[in-house]
Amino acid sequence: MIMNKLANMDRLRWIELVLLAVAFIVLLIIPQISGAATITMVSRIMIFAVFAMAYDILRGFIGVIHLGFALFIGGGAYFVGILFFHQGATIPMLLLAVVGTTIYSAIWALIVGKISGKSGMLATAMITMAFSEIMRNLMTVWRTVTRGEDGIAFRVPAPFNDRTMMFYACFIFMILMAFVLYKFTKSPTGRVWQAVRENEQRAIFLGYNTARARTIALLVASIVGGLAGVMFGLNSRFVNTEALGMQMTYDAMLYSLLGGAGTLFGAILGSTVVILFQNFLLDLRPIHAIFERWLLFFGALYIVVVMFMPHGIMGYYNAWKEKRAQKKRMAKEAASS
Amino acid sequence: MGNILLRTENLSIQFGALKAVNDVSLSIEADKFTAILGPNGAGKTTFFNLISGLYKPSSGKVFFKDKEITKLTPQQRIHAGMGRSFQLTNVFPALSAHENVRLSVQSAAKVRFNKLVKSYRKYTDIYEETDRILQRILLFDKAYTRAGDLSHGEQRKLELGMVLAQKPEVLLLDEPTAGMSIEEVPVMIDLLRSIKDAGDTTIVLIEHKMNMVKALSDVIVVLVNGEVLCQGDPEAVSNDPAVMAAYLGGGVVSVAT
Repeated sequence: MIMNKLANMDRLRWIELVLLAVAFIVLLIIPQISGAATITMVSRIMIFAVFAMAYDILRGFIGVIHLGFALFIGGGAYFVGILFFHQGATIPMLLLAVVGTTIYSAIWALIVGKISGKSGMLATAMITMAFSEIMRNLMTVWRTVTRGEDGIAFRVPAPFNDRTMMFYACFIFMILMAFVLYKFTKSPTGRVWQAVRENEQRAIFLGYNTARARTIALLVASIVGGLAGVMFGLNSRFVNTEALGMQMTYDAMLYSLLGGAGTLFGAILGSTVVILFQNFLLDLRPIHAIFERWLLFFGALYIVVVMFMPHGIMGYYNAWKEKRAQKKRMAKEAASS
Repeated sequence: MGNILLRTENLSIQFGALKAVNDVSLSIEADKFTAILGPNGAGKTTFFNLISGLYKPSSGKVFFKDKEITKLTPQQRIHAGMGRSFQLTNVFPALSAHENVRLSVQSAAKVRFNKLVKSYRKYTDIYEETDRILQRILLFDKAYTRAGDLSHGEQRKLELGMVLAQKPEVLLLDEPTAGMSIEEVPVMIDLLRSIKDAGDTTIVLIEHKMNMVKALSDVIVVLVNGEVLCQGDPEAVSNDPAVMAAYLGGGVVSVAT
């Protein structure tokens, strides 16, 4: 049966599958063929891919603009950092960090859910931004534990102290989270998320408790974002207040929008493209000092993407695919009549 | 008196100095086709918004199936068996026609937030029901067109399908023919007639031209300036001198047709 299915597949679908398989294999062998810097960078890409996918659940599916998303990557990283630094780098402490992060993320999700049910999208955006700034300032002044802006460097327990093992942990983490989030978006509940984004009033009049739908989406996104934070801490072995900074939220937003909001896979693509491009530009520094200011080029790229692909790379690709399928259908109809 | 399904008691709402709905006490019988007529600004849609819970009344009560529902939220009223459509087309534009209806069927099947893992495609009964409704509203051929790309008339039919999918006991339809082209109106009227003939739901419909619904209605209620002017069977209402006097030039009673 599977063979039949494979034989009937569209050529494009074949190409997609082959590309995915190639990406999978490349990721598998990267740690064997490249140096520590590349391994850490790719690990970072995978962690931020998960972070951006979680953001996409809010921005692309349910339609909540969460400008305090740094709360989660920073929160998870701080849980790992503080526990490892003060209590010792052990696996039980890691588990404690995971549990702590989950509870912490869930609490924020419930608070934001309450607020977004009452106030509009814009007010929610502003309030969540304030939340993450409050948290960042809290971590700045709580010097005895966090060392403020200097941050804490810490050891991580085996097997995560090995770069290769850490890489595979990130790889598994990304695939697992992508699978879980994909499943959620294809569930009946996930389909309601899109309805809420499209037209909340209509969703209410179909009998859906849209506030509840939003809270579920916030819980899912926040917890996954927080877990990405735990991985971020493990991978960086360092955390300071930058992890809670607005830049983190902007990054998640940028990755998911560039890759294509509402597609999940776009977030993976976005974080890959952006981080690779950023490193490529930084590598050009010896040629000219202007490459030190890589953000300049990045801004230009971003403008180009927004102008020519307002729905991101995946959005552009999906639209092209849709058009192609339509053309095919029309050709078929013309041939049969 | 037959079986009263929906009742309002001295229902009023005030926006500033404007009494949009003023002291309306209405009883709507089950299994009757009731049309609420009135010129623009008579308070028809506001009245619907009060019944369906979008607005809270300044005073008065709403009863549904002998239970007071004045304090219930819109979605509690939907769960109790109310379905409503909107005057301005109100669909999910970026989703397919199929998905629009499917979401409604899904809610009616009580698959709301208890299912977070199983793929929505695996609920075959929901899929079958969706197809049935798409056939009923004559949109089966356009099932996978984006709702936003459908013609206006098709979007109105889609909305009707979404309300039907709820299997409501009472169907509140806010000008289902609003903005439709001349060719599309008869199709919608036929559709309404088939729903009426199926006999499993009570229809309350807002309209501002009497000739549109005269043949369909069992009861006509005329609303002017937020108050009930008269209520009765179509013949009596259209011959009522008060209605004639109030509406000549108001566009409600079209004498010519």
